[in-house]
Amino acid sequence: MTVNSDQPPYTADEAWLPYRPDVDGPWTAAETAHLYRRGGFGAPLAVLQQAAEKSPAQASRDLLTATEPESFRQLSAQLARAAVASGDPRSLAAWWMRRMISSPAQATERLVLFWHGHFATSAEKVSDVDLMLQQNELIRTHAMTQFEPFVQAMAQDPAMLLWLDAATSRKAHPNENFARELMELFCLGEGRYTEADIREAARCFTGWEVRRRQFRFNRFQHDTGDKTVLGESGSFGGQDIVRIVLKQSAAAEFLICKLVRYYLRDEIPEVAVLCQPLIRQYRENGMQLQPILQTLFSSRLFYSRWCQGFRVRSPVDLAVSLLRTFEGSANTVLLSERTQEAGQGLFFPPGVQGWDEGRAWINTSTLLGRSNLISGLLADSATRFAGKTPAEYCREVLATDPQQAIEQLQTALFARSLPKATLDSATRLFSKRSDQSLLEALQLLCSIPEFQLC
Amino acid sequence: MFPSRRQFLQASTAAWTFASRLPLPLAAAATATKESTVLIVIELQGGNDGLNTLISTQDPEYRRLRPKLAIPANTTLTVTPECGLHPQLRGFAELLERDQLSIVTNVGYDQPNRSHFESMDIWHTCLRGDQRRGDGWLGRWLQESTAAPGSLAALHLGDQQLPLALRSQAHPVPSIKSREQFRLQAPNAESLQQELLIAAAPEPSSDDLLGFIRSSTSTALQTSERIQEIGRRSTTTTSWPEGPLSRELQTISGLIRAGLETSVYYVSLGGFDTHAQQPDAHARLLRQLGDGVSALMKDLNDAGHADRVLVMCFSEFGRRVAENASDGTDHGTAGPVFLIGNNVVPGLTGTLPDLNQLRDGDLQYSTDFREVYADLLQNWFRTDSEKILGGSWKPCGAVRT
Repeated sequence: MTVNSDQPPYTADEAWLPYRPDVDGPWTAAETAHLYRRGGFGAPLAVLQQAAEKSPAQASRDLLTATEPESFRQLSAQLARAAVASGDPRSLAAWWMRRMISSPAQATERLVLFWHGHFATSAEKVSDVDLMLQQNELIRTHAMTQFEPFVQAMAQDPAMLLWLDAATSRKAHPNENFARELMELFCLGEGRYTEADIREAARCFTGWEVRRRQFRFNRFQHDTGDKTVLGESGSFGGQDIVRIVLKQSAAAEFLICKLVRYYLRDEIPEVAVLCQPLIRQYRENGMQLQPILQTLFSSRLFYSRWCQGFRVRSPVDLAVSLLRTFEGSANTVLLSERTQEAGQGLFFPPGVQGWDEGRAWINTSTLLGRSNLISGLLADSATRFAGKTPAEYCREVLATDPQQAIEQLQTALFARSLPKATLDSATRLFSKRSDQSLLEALQLLCSIPEFQLC
Repeated sequence: MFPSRRQFLQASTAAWTFASRLPLPLAAAATATKESTVLIVIELQGGNDGLNTLISTQDPEYRRLRPKLAIPANTTLTVTPECGLHPQLRGFAELLERDQLSIVTNVGYDQPNRSHFESMDIWHTCLRGDQRRGDGWLGRWLQESTAAPGSLAALHLGDQQLPLALRSQAHPVPSIKSREQFRLQAPNAESLQQELLIAAAPEPSSDDLLGFIRSSTSTALQTSERIQEIGRRSTTTTSWPEGPLSRELQTISGLIRAGLETSVYYVSLGGFDTHAQQPDAHARLLRQLGDGVSALMKDLNDAGHADRVLVMCFSEFGRRVAENASDGTDHGTAGPVFLIGNNVVPGLTGTLPDLNQLRDGDLQYSTDFREVYADLLQNWFRTDSEKILGGSWKPCGAVRT
């Protein structure tokens, strides 16, 4: 199996079979670290070691089915209300980032982040913080369930209606924005429909309005005439269109391929061929998402060297993963500003297409931004790793045995081997044990090219 | 083994005399000569409403199809007896008075695609979706040009990903957001910089993805040093308007005046996807654009650099001719392209779109965007355009020959 090859090490038929420890490869904390980094946002070494005691299927099931206890949900709801009261979407971003860092249901939060990029809605235009929160919670409710009810709910979500101007679409002049993005970005992909389909579908969504921050159907503005969309004719309404669009064979392929690129590897040649068995599973189970994730996270391909270290960390992923690995907490207002500078502002996706992922995260500007995010985090007085300041944590936990500490960091944080030069420098800096040298070591480790990948 | 930061700076002011010791990108950068020509591309994202940018003052069809959105003829800024600029484009009107503005009308392409991303990619690469798109038209020009590999031949300003137009195999093009943010911020920035340069050094065993991140990291660190150094030397007396575009143009102007060798600068202004409540939003954007470009040309003019700079503003498509019910317009087809500089043929190039000859409610283009590119490549960069554009296109005639 060569790491450098573009081609996957398995055929489509083999790729999604369950991973067999010791037959297909090892099953240690390094593999569970991969599971947690991709399925969630990473975990401390002790959690990874515990997970390695379970089977791959059980470990991924536990990750996927973890829930937030009632007390956590209540606290989170309280903090959300405070963010809404501030009227500032950046407070809401800070709230969500805090939830990502501390929620026991990290696989759900990871998926909510995926969907936020998929149904990208920006507070740049939807300035009503309450509506942005409502959408975020709606996504959380549907994140791991069935796709069609999810899209139906999103189509009537007030923030979405405002974002894509559906809320002001009139019978006489339907607005095409929502109908277009439903097909192009949410369900089918570019080129899987005609311009006539868009125009006709837009008519079906007329009369879908927002009143008093809620969805309302205004029958006086709804075009009740006959329409033809994707080969079907009738006096369709908006819900019919969602159903018709999702019935297209392109729909399953579009979503599954996107999920596989998100969770397994950014760049996959002929991804649709590789995904055929999954696409079949998804269609046969009625577009249920959780079983698909279960298959992904316990598959041979997922744990292969072809996937490990072949995704670029997004700025939010980078920040949250670092904190989760160190059982950390931080001033998430500052932190979410920093991720925005590095190219990913929560509730501020760059446009209707969301974030491009992969190499698009990396340019000269964002690379400096990522390193500055780390230095800002290490310098901020509110940052805690396992209840200690970063310097204390480094001295008490990491610097007692620099060599062992770096090995542990390698396992928990890195999907790629640390380069020799960095290894030597970090060991030297840890051994010096001054506050400055300890933080310098951590800063260096979290700025090198290998850290950008997971 | 690696120069200290001070040595690094001395070296960068001394025209990179240590280039031979550092086989890294940018180390080979040459100092600009005053003669070298510069193109600044301003991308208007979202689909600019061309019909409300360059406004017909005579055509009754325009007013009939846009009962609410039509701009009153008497408020437009006269270009010809038939048309005028949006009232908020005062900056462009001033440029026109000084013979520094050329408007190429009704620019588009065959079988227009109305997806933002697809249409933008077509403009960037000159290729359709079913063709393999490895590089962009400016990237291909960089490959063909005599720019030393690793020089700062092109620069992208903004926090979005590198525009496809600038992508190429041989010339990694840096993206910078602003000069101030474009530096390592750490108590130990100097030693961090050196350690990172070592960690990012090319490594033959690394795969393509890791290699890409390594080379991007090297480019980031080295470009940052150069831009910071140039920033310390740059001063200006021009008063610049507010807004991100203006700030980016100001940065560009500073870099040009400081003698950076860069030939292509790329910036974008978003927000043109005006499906709803168009009038105020569109007016604000056009004002930013006009005032920003006008300040840029003044600044360059004062410093004696205006003759070697040309600005192009384009958008991925225009908008549907008829307005929608949300006081907005939907995705359309053709629109005007603006060229600004001392070397343009001032006024209109081409004719106004014919609103009686619509296809499915959309304009039919009269100038292909590649004719604009051919004009820039042949008459501005003095390069053969055929290979870069993948075909023979007649220059549209907006650049003085």
